[in-house]
Amino acid sequence: MNRRRRGYSIGVAIDWFFFVFAGLAALWLAYLSLTETFHVGWWGIPFFLVFWVLLAYLVLPRLHRILTTIYVPDYFIGRTRTSDGLLGDPVNLAFHGTGEQIRTALEAAGWTKAEPVTLGSSWRIITSTLARRSYDEAPVSPLFLFGRQQDFAYQQEVDGNPAQRHHVRFWRCPDDWLLPGGRRVGWLAAGTFDTSVGLSLFTLQVTHRIDADTDVERDHIVKTVTDADPRVAVDVIADFATGYHARNGGGDSIRTDGDLPIVDVRAVEVPTQTAGEVTA
Amino acid sequence: MPAPQKRPAYEPAARLLKPPRYDPGMARPTATVAGVVLILLRVLAGVIVLVSIAAGWDALLSDPDSVLEGFDPTPEGRQAALWLVIATGGTVLLIDLALAFFVFQGFNWARVFVMFISVLSISTSFTAWWAQGQEITIATTYVSLSIDILLLLALSSRSAAAYARRNERR
Repeated sequence: MNRRRRGYSIGVAIDWFFFVFAGLAALWLAYLSLTETFHVGWWGIPFFLVFWVLLAYLVLPRLHRILTTIYVPDYFIGRTRTSDGLLGDPVNLAFHGTGEQIRTALEAAGWTKAEPVTLGSSWRIITSTLARRSYDEAPVSPLFLFGRQQDFAYQQEVDGNPAQRHHVRFWRCPDDWLLPGGRRVGWLAAGTFDTSVGLSLFTLQVTHRIDADTDVERDHIVKTVTDADPRVAVDVIADFATGYHARNGGGDSIRTDGDLPIVDVRAVEVPTQTAGEVTA
Repeated sequence: MPAPQKRPAYEPAARLLKPPRYDPGMARPTATVAGVVLILLRVLAGVIVLVSIAAGWDALLSDPDSVLEGFDPTPEGRQAALWLVIATGGTVLLIDLALAFFVFQGFNWARVFVMFISVLSISTSFTAWWAQGQEITIATTYVSLSIDILLLLALSSRSAAAYARRNERR
C-alpha cells in the first residue's frame, strides 16, 4: 500500500470540490427560498423559517468553514475554535495533573460533568431552557483546540436556570508541547459564563451568549477548586494572553487582563472507586 | 528529556489534503444518516411520479402532441410502452436504493457517486434557471432541487467524509 503513504490524497481534493460546491449550491437554495417567501402569501412565514434554518445551520457554517480554513491559523494562538472554524472562547486556564485528578478536584468543588452532545441531550436542553427547568448535566457545545474536541467539560448551573451557567472545557496538551514562552503544562482549559440564550452574530444560530468579563469566570473556577482542597497550588503567568479584548465565535465581546493561572492538582488523591477509569 | 519539536512558522497548503484519521471504529455520524434519508426521500418522490404517470397514462396519450415512437397505436402497444417507462424508472430507483444502502454502510465510492450525480443535476437546474430563466417554485422543481442540494451538503460534510474514509490508512 505504497500509494497511501503520501501526505495527501486525490480523493480528499475531490472531497474539497464537493464541499465548496455544496456550500455555493446551498447559498443559491437559500436565495430561492427567500424569493419564494414573497410569492406564497401567508405560507411565506414557514418559508422564511426554512430560509433561516438553511442559512444559519447549513449555509453560513459551510461558508465559515471554507473561509476560516484559509485565514485562521491552525497552530496555538490562545483561542479555541468552534466546529465551524471560528475563534471560540479564549484559553484562560492551565492545569497540571492527570485527568482523574482534575475531575476529582472539580467534583469536590461542586462542579458537574457535562453530558456528551446527543439527540436526546440536545432535545432536553431545549425543553429545559424553554420551561426553565433545571438540567445540571446539560451538554456543552464542542470547541476545538489542537484540532481536537474538548476531552471533557464541567459546569455549574445558576439558580436551576439552564440558560445561565458556569462552564469550563478541558484539553490534554500533546506530549512535549510547550506554551508560548516555553512553560510545560499538562492541560489547557477555557472557562466562560453563559448569561443567556440568544442568536450568534456570525452564524445566526441559537446559542448561549457569554459574559464579556471572562476573568470573573476564570477566577471563580480557580477559587472554587482551591477552596475545596488546600492541596491545590496555583501559579500565574501574568499577561499571558495578548488578546485583551476580542470576540468569540458567537460574536460576544470578551475582555481579559491576560493572566493565565496554572492550577496544580498533582497532590489531589483520586478516590479508589474511580481509580480504575481510563485517564483521558 | 529530549528537546521538543519546534512549531513550524507556516502551514503548507498540502496539509489541507491530508486524509482524515484512520478510525475503523468510528460511529456513523448524523450527516451520513441524513444523507441516506434524503436519498430515500428522492426514491419515494420517484415512486410517486411513476405511479402518477401510470394512473394518468391514457390522459397523457390522448394529448394530440404526444407521439409514441416505435410502438403500435393500439391498446397493446400503449400498454407495452407504459411497461417500458415503469421498468426504466424502476431500475433507476432500485439503483438509487442500493446506493443508499452502500452510503449507509460507509462505502466511499457510493458517496462520491451520489454526490457526482447531485452536482450534475444541480448544475443543470442552475443553468436552466440562470441562462434560460426557468422558474423554480414550490409548484415546479423547488422540492426536488432542495433534496439534491441538502443531500450534497450532508454527504460532503467533514464528518460524512471522515466516516466514508475511516478505513483508509495514512
